[in-house]
Amino acid sequence: MTDDLKAFEVVDERKGSSRSEGVRSLRADAWHDLRRNPLFWISAALIVLFVVMAIAPGLFTNTSPRETVLSEARTPPSSENWFGRDVQGYDLYARCIYGARASILVGVFAAAGTAIIGTIFGLLAGYASGATDAVVGRVAEIFFALPLILGAVVILTALPPSDEYFVIVFKVVLVFWILGWPTIFRLMRSSVMQVRPNDYVQAARALGGSPWRIVTSHILPNAIAPVIVVSTINLGVYISAEATLSFLGIGLQPPTISWGVMISDALVAMRSAPHVLLFPAAFLSLAVLAFIMLGDAVRDAFDPKSR
Amino acid sequence: MRRVRRSLTLASALLVASAALAACGGDDDDGGGGQSESGEQTGGEITVRGCNPENPLVPGNTAETCGGNVLDVTTAKLIKYATEDAAPQNDIAESIETEDNQNFTVTLKDDYMFSDGTQVTASSFVDAWNYNAYGPNGYQSSYFFAPIAGYADLQCTGDGEDPCAGQGSQPKAEEMSGLEVVDDLTFTIQTTEQVSNLPVRLGYTAFAPYPESFFEDPEAFGTMPVSAGPYMVEEFTQNEQIVVTKNPEYSGEFPGNLDRITFRVYNDASAAYADVVAGNLDVTDDIPVNVLQDDIWLSDLQDRGTEREQGVISTMGMDPTVDKRLDDPALRTAISMAIDRETITEQIFAGAAAPADGWVSPVVDGYVEGQCGDNCTYDPEAAKAMWEEAGGIQGGLTLTYNADSDHGPWTEAVCNSIRQALDVECNPRPVVDFATFLTQLGDKEIDGLFRQGWQMDYPSIENFLVPLYSKGASSNYYSFDNADFERLNREAAAAPSVEEANLLYQEAERLLAEDMRIIPLWFTTGQVGWSDRVSGVELNAFGVPDYAAISLN
Repeated sequence: MTDDLKAFEVVDERKGSSRSEGVRSLRADAWHDLRRNPLFWISAALIVLFVVMAIAPGLFTNTSPRETVLSEARTPPSSENWFGRDVQGYDLYARCIYGARASILVGVFAAAGTAIIGTIFGLLAGYASGATDAVVGRVAEIFFALPLILGAVVILTALPPSDEYFVIVFKVVLVFWILGWPTIFRLMRSSVMQVRPNDYVQAARALGGSPWRIVTSHILPNAIAPVIVVSTINLGVYISAEATLSFLGIGLQPPTISWGVMISDALVAMRSAPHVLLFPAAFLSLAVLAFIMLGDAVRDAFDPKSR
Repeated sequence: MRRVRRSLTLASALLVASAALAACGGDDDDGGGGQSESGEQTGGEITVRGCNPENPLVPGNTAETCGGNVLDVTTAKLIKYATEDAAPQNDIAESIETEDNQNFTVTLKDDYMFSDGTQVTASSFVDAWNYNAYGPNGYQSSYFFAPIAGYADLQCTGDGEDPCAGQGSQPKAEEMSGLEVVDDLTFTIQTTEQVSNLPVRLGYTAFAPYPESFFEDPEAFGTMPVSAGPYMVEEFTQNEQIVVTKNPEYSGEFPGNLDRITFRVYNDASAAYADVVAGNLDVTDDIPVNVLQDDIWLSDLQDRGTEREQGVISTMGMDPTVDKRLDDPALRTAISMAIDRETITEQIFAGAAAPADGWVSPVVDGYVEGQCGDNCTYDPEAAKAMWEEAGGIQGGLTLTYNADSDHGPWTEAVCNSIRQALDVECNPRPVVDFATFLTQLGDKEIDGLFRQGWQMDYPSIENFLVPLYSKGASSNYYSFDNADFERLNREAAAAPSVEEANLLYQEAERLLAEDMRIIPLWFTTGQVGWSDRVSGVELNAFGVPDYAAISLN
């Protein structure tokens, strides 16, 4: 954030933060609030755990997720296999740990990508308005009208199959980019339209600021908050959407290990060995919950009106 | 080949809902006239699991089990396969005689009646077979008649998708020259080559006779077929149910016990199973895999279930001319020995398959135990030693399968077994559907391993060897070309007796064990479960319940 903006923001924010002791920027204020929110710390701890799991699964288990003992398939949890074994005889604990990577990758890339695409088009449409707004808006509506599952089925079956880990993951991410950006776009556009008539924007324009400078220095920093909030929540949503697609057999494919694939594989043993289903489902729920809780905490912090 | 429509995947809520609707439809006629009959063992009516026939109920155009199960009880053929051992018994045939395995004389029993009261005559067979074989009719079982002389003249000659399209591609004849009606009860069959097991083949549904009314209106026949079996179709409601009742004109030796059998259409194995457990359905021959595990189904049904091996084999093949790395038979043997068939059939199939010890299903005449010998016995150490001695391969293996059926779990297990035993990378590779899979196989595009499966057309050892592995056979995707194999098959076809023919076929089968490019995996086991209202439920060698033998308690 640039210095010349500070003055406006301070004026802008004083109403909202009257109960706090000093004068803070929007972001500092949000951080101040977040720090005092136990929900934030719980979810942040969980997320850190899952991210470490995704980066270095070897820290949590020495067992290879591809090592199988088929004769012991579906054995219940024991001291040797903490979560027991699945239908293929894989160690469930190791699979759950290694499954984090795909889910986190999909969640992070999908949320970040949709946020970037949606923000760019939202800024364009909201600031330029007129014909540009109409065209981008209509295009967004076309994508918005596509149901996620239907669109994903069509796109994923049309793409050629692959054995490469990152290609498999990226295909799912791509689907979310294509189908997910209009939500962020709409949010950003309305946020930009709220910010645009503000005095500091008018002042910047009167002082001869270029559109690029006005957008990047004045509008974007002040309109981005809702996008951050929704994208954080979306991260959890995308993780569960990935699991849904993988469950249906069209998302991630073996040999990629993911919680959705594990849940799908476990169905056949639902009656004889329910733990095979429960453990990946628990990991999935926890991860989704963590991101949605974080999103909630961030929203509370960024949105003064909800206080 | 009859395709078995069994899938292990979950059906959508929609399908369950439609099955439930169908279940609501047929409940009011429960507990019929069983008591009015004299004995306890006969009469009454039951409801069994059915599914939607792919085509109208015409014997010559039914190549799947949904329609086939119904036709099994409504049609009579020259031969009937015994339920226990699939041994051929004369049904409509009085005798089938041959001197040279090439010219057969078929004599029919007198006074064998269709359900419409007309008599089954020699021309009922000859006309039916000509109609089934005639190319432009497009019947699925046309190929069954290929051994009969003159079959080629009934086929369209055009190229491309539809060989009957375009001018000049129409067949030369409408009747096979190899079939001749001698008198009302006698006809002769001449084959192009010697076929020692032709009589065994004649029990397949495609060889059923048609009454005269069929030729007047084949389409109407499809919904209300007239046939000579112990039962006849009373009602056929697409997507809902097919009701068969006792054929009053039935004149054969294998009458049914029950008065009426309702095939209620289910789209989902789980729904049918749940209905049997709840007592709303009497018999289901499709037990979902999730209850096969740990024999949950037998405890759910209080032991009212049975299983037996069927004439279905799963194999895994490779084509050394496509994947030159696998040219050494020792490498192929090592792969076979690296597969833990016992554990996979137990854990992945939950007992719905039994380890294969050869290329021929145990249910057919001519099967001998252990034709594959040690090559099909799991021995990871010996496999590894053999693999290393033969030099191993560069890179990894893939096991290609068609993803439109539930082959994912077992291909993964097989690959894991190979990977852990031989220390070679192995990954299952799905191909979108069966048609694409076969096209790619035909175009020799699939390297490494690929899956194959075969359901017998008729219970004979020959059916497991000749159509699959002889040179130029349409299902020979392995480039298997062995002069001795061809010679033995030719000799077997000319053998004077079935026993002698079987010995030769068995010798031919052993040649496959030397080559090992076709790796036997397992034989499919069929299950049937029933409610506490019925007894005497048994599966035949085709995995179909012998409905006619079921009786009410």
